[in-house]
Amino acid sequence: MTNSASQHSSRIAILGAGLLGRLSAWQLLEAGQQVSLYEAGSFEQSPSAARTAAAMISPLSEVVASEREIYNLGLRSLQIWPEWIQSLNKALPDHPPVQYDATGSVVVAHPQDRTELQQFHRDLEGKLGSKQNSKPLNQSQITKLEPALAHFNEGLYLPDEAYLDNRQLLDNLLQRIRTLGGKCHEHTPIELDDLANNKTIDADTILDCRGMGAKKETSQPLRGVRGEVMWVECPEVKLTHPVRLMHPRYKLYVVPKGNDRYIIGATEIESEDLSNISLQSSMELSSALYTLNPAFAEARIIETDVNLRPAFMDNLPHTAEYKIGDTNVIQINGLYRHGYLLAPAVLEQTLNKFSKTETTHDQLS
Amino acid sequence: MGNFTLYGETFNSRFLLGTALYPSPQIMRDAITASECDIVTLGLRRQNPSEQDGAAIWDFIKDSGCKLLPNTAGCKSAKEAITLAEMSREIFDTEWIKLEVIGDDYNLQPDPYGLIEAAAELIKKGFKVLPYTTDDLIVAQKLLDAGCEVIMPWGAPIGTGQGLMNKYNLRTLRERLPDTPLIIDAGLGAPSQAAEAMEMGFDGVLLNTAVAKAQTPPQMAKAFAQAIDAGRNAFEAGLMVQKETASPSTPVIGQPFWHSK
Repeated sequence: MTNSASQHSSRIAILGAGLLGRLSAWQLLEAGQQVSLYEAGSFEQSPSAARTAAAMISPLSEVVASEREIYNLGLRSLQIWPEWIQSLNKALPDHPPVQYDATGSVVVAHPQDRTELQQFHRDLEGKLGSKQNSKPLNQSQITKLEPALAHFNEGLYLPDEAYLDNRQLLDNLLQRIRTLGGKCHEHTPIELDDLANNKTIDADTILDCRGMGAKKETSQPLRGVRGEVMWVECPEVKLTHPVRLMHPRYKLYVVPKGNDRYIIGATEIESEDLSNISLQSSMELSSALYTLNPAFAEARIIETDVNLRPAFMDNLPHTAEYKIGDTNVIQINGLYRHGYLLAPAVLEQTLNKFSKTETTHDQLS
Repeated sequence: MGNFTLYGETFNSRFLLGTALYPSPQIMRDAITASECDIVTLGLRRQNPSEQDGAAIWDFIKDSGCKLLPNTAGCKSAKEAITLAEMSREIFDTEWIKLEVIGDDYNLQPDPYGLIEAAAELIKKGFKVLPYTTDDLIVAQKLLDAGCEVIMPWGAPIGTGQGLMNKYNLRTLRERLPDTPLIIDAGLGAPSQAAEAMEMGFDGVLLNTAVAKAQTPPQMAKAFAQAIDAGRNAFEAGLMVQKETASPSTPVIGQPFWHSK
């Protein structure tokens, strides 16, 4: 990613065309490298979790159930995303632009669950100190921010949160990668073990972004955490911010996706089962939506989706670097439920390191 | 401290810890280590157990070295709980089961009828049943009649952190079932509440949320472990009886008489 890297262009193979794979292919091509992108599935119907995700960039909400590192990386991503999306949209004037909205998110709870809201606020303060800028909301403030939630009398506003149109992003990234001359190979599963035996890829560096596809080849145990989401269309209800509903057992969110569409998610089940959404989960998601606003009863369910979040046991992202013969291998994995929150910040770190490896052959941990 | 024996097996720790709701599996394992517990509970309910889909996390819990106590969390009928118990026995290779049959979806209150029915059936099938129940004496007696050797009454509904809500009922249970191991399961939020339960003579404490939802779960696990030890020691040592009037712990013999009333 640095200028020094582009002085001599190197051949980079990227495994996996999910969010990390596409973003890094695009960034490396823009920096003048030669990139080949390999995807086990198809590009349009990619099995990647990136397509299933709601694509929130929500460092405040996520820090409550994770570690400070997630928050710090998330804040960095909040800075990078608008720049990247602006430059991508500019490069593709004939394509529908990727929408990016950074007007913050709203957290609400029903009166009987108000202690969940208090706990959420306490955990935010506990993790980040009093200088985090969440704002308690009363009923009239909620009404002003989100008229469809007027019946809630207590909530929180989290200003430093954003969301983006991930499906448009994934499509546009692929388009841009092709325009920049990236070689795209779909239905081409690659395993590192095969490479060690017979060299099927001719590359100086392999960037492994396969997520769950790398399960057998990561340096520490990787597991999948099942998530189920539902897409609905509902012209009667207008929400303009991502909304989180606090509940003793479910932490569910609704994210507006344009054209009166909303994504509701997501369950979190310690299982690698990829079968269809269960009735219980669909009832939990639907009833959460219904209690946000009863007019959602007339929503049409247009899609349900199930996928696995690739996670290490500490639920934190990890990068591993090593060599197979003369080829550098960099593995990035374990973004868990934080793909869009972490991807730009994690890639920035990795690609910086990576260009150093390219030019100086430093051994980096 | 005296022995803690359940179904003929003796344990060092009187603390049983749940494995759900932690920020990450690693933090869960750190909490187990800090708690020094010997028994951990885990649930199959929302996986697809026949396909072993949760194997990675189960192996990670097994590696803690603790005895596994599978539960039937989330089951709403005896039939459902029995089916899940049988799957658990197969997958985890243990006859031990923490039996939960939930009667109310909102506060997760146990359904005593379904519980007794499931317990009787499971004991016939050779299970060692540890039933999660309310603090009702009659339900506890029926569970013992069904063949349970351990009773696990709630302190308060699951996840509320309210502590010992009905001390009268709990005291009655303890007094009327002096030889049955009684473990307070659910509803505890603070180590002081766990210490209080142990001071009352309960044999152990099972909890999950209060540790998992703490800002530093391993530290909270340690706090509970210390409280449970303290409470047990206090119970064994024999608590003094509370009195209405003050009695100085320093002898007054040296004081001049005219200072006394």
